[in-house]
Amino acid sequence: MNAAGLNEASSTATQPPPQPPPDQLPPGQLPSGRWHRDFLWRWLGWLGRLTRRRMRFLLTLASMAMGVAVDALRPASWRRTTRAEFRRVLRQSLGGGLTTTVLTAAIIGLGMVYQALYWLGAAGQEESIGSILVTILIREIIPVLVGLILLGRSGSVVLTELGGLQANGQIQVLQAQGIDPVGALILPRGIAFATAAYTLGVIFMLVSLLTGFIVGSLVGAVRMSLWSFLDNVLTAMHPADFAIFPIKLVVIGLLVAMTACLTALDAEPHLDANRLMPRGFVRGLLSIMLVSGVLSLAS
Amino acid sequence: MATAAILDLNDAQSRQLVGTAADAKLNLRLEPGDFALIDARDADLGRDFADLCSGLMPPDKGAVEFLGRDWTSLPLDYAQALRGRIGRVFAGRSWIDFLDAATDIMLPQLHHTRRDPAELRAHATDLCRRFGLPGLPIGRIGMLSAGDLVRAGFVRAFLGEPMLLLLESPLQGVYADMVPMLLNGIAEARDRGAAAIWMTRNKAVWGDRSFPATQRLRLGYHGLTSLRTS
Repeated sequence: MNAAGLNEASSTATQPPPQPPPDQLPPGQLPSGRWHRDFLWRWLGWLGRLTRRRMRFLLTLASMAMGVAVDALRPASWRRTTRAEFRRVLRQSLGGGLTTTVLTAAIIGLGMVYQALYWLGAAGQEESIGSILVTILIREIIPVLVGLILLGRSGSVVLTELGGLQANGQIQVLQAQGIDPVGALILPRGIAFATAAYTLGVIFMLVSLLTGFIVGSLVGAVRMSLWSFLDNVLTAMHPADFAIFPIKLVVIGLLVAMTACLTALDAEPHLDANRLMPRGFVRGLLSIMLVSGVLSLAS
Repeated sequence: MATAAILDLNDAQSRQLVGTAADAKLNLRLEPGDFALIDARDADLGRDFADLCSGLMPPDKGAVEFLGRDWTSLPLDYAQALRGRIGRVFAGRSWIDFLDAATDIMLPQLHHTRRDPAELRAHATDLCRRFGLPGLPIGRIGMLSAGDLVRAGFVRAFLGEPMLLLLESPLQGVYADMVPMLLNGIAEARDRGAAAIWMTRNKAVWGDRSFPATQRLRLGYHGLTSLRTS
């Protein structure tokens, strides 16, 4: 912009055109000051709507997870329909995820535990195996992998089941029968997934450690006994690890269930399971990463 | 002392009622033993009306009382428990597909009561036979034919001795020979003090002057219009 242009701009900025009195303005036109105020309010409104829309899912997820955790402690919440659904979902999520968990744990045992044993043995640093496995495998890898297994194997089932109920208006049917969908459908899924995540996590840890140790022993890369190996791992665990590991698994399991339930129940009526699946997967994945990251930082 | 009504709609108005005038007021009082036949041509309006009666759609003005209690003044848990006293036959899909048929049929009773499951199963089996099913269905609910699903819906609605029967176009998908069975069930319920609402789109049912309704009403743009009973 040249100097003249700047002068023009500054003169325009310093000397606003004279405004007629507000009562003489044409209809729909606002006085300059009011126009700016109006624009500011509209912009703030737009910003607020956008933020609320983006945050709505996260806030609803947090409140629902908290509500389920609190409700689960009330014996009155565990009616026989809720208990029956809990047993069904727990059987499905545990039974469905068990084979995948064992296989994945065996692969991790071979790929990580055995490798760590082998290379640390070669470097004469075998006694530091415990701290490496605790820091990487137990604190970080197991919760994330178990969360992913649960999300893929059982979260998708929840999306299909509840998505179908929502699309066909059967949630309203439940409400018309006096059955609270949160108590009958969401609570048992949340607690079943949390229990399944913890159980699968413990199984994963045992299988991966044992597989790595057994393979290492078979190829002659390990020179310590199984008890020394396990003692090494146990000694490397800080007191906080005994709390963080189960908390991480339980919270990840709960949030995988909550994201799947909320994605299915919050969906537009025309959305079918094929459209729900990617949305639910991404949300579940983000919640697993978020919980894992936050709890790792907290520990 | 006046008898407590089973259902009392007192100048109830709701803008959510599909296809009614904004100022349409609904008035209906059902005493124990009453049986209202409602001509509800619009299925959505029928469903909304049933939701209004069940307290799922709060009225903007007026009041809807069930067993003497205003739905809007009830805590959620209490309202849900009261809804367990309503046996409703739904017009659309109303089954939880991933449950087995027997659990699906007994679900409201299993949820709201502590009745012995064996006793409940025996009662459900008895009702199944009365409504033309060979017994309590086994397997997934999706394996039942459309007609059997409607029959299973009747069993679910009548199970547990409800105080109010809300039947939304109950003859859809079943043959006319179901009418006597259904009317017998309704008569038994009325004898023990329940009330019933039968919403129909069926001209044969509406035109049948021998239909044992104590009130005949039409649900439409102007709300509920009372017609003379025979």
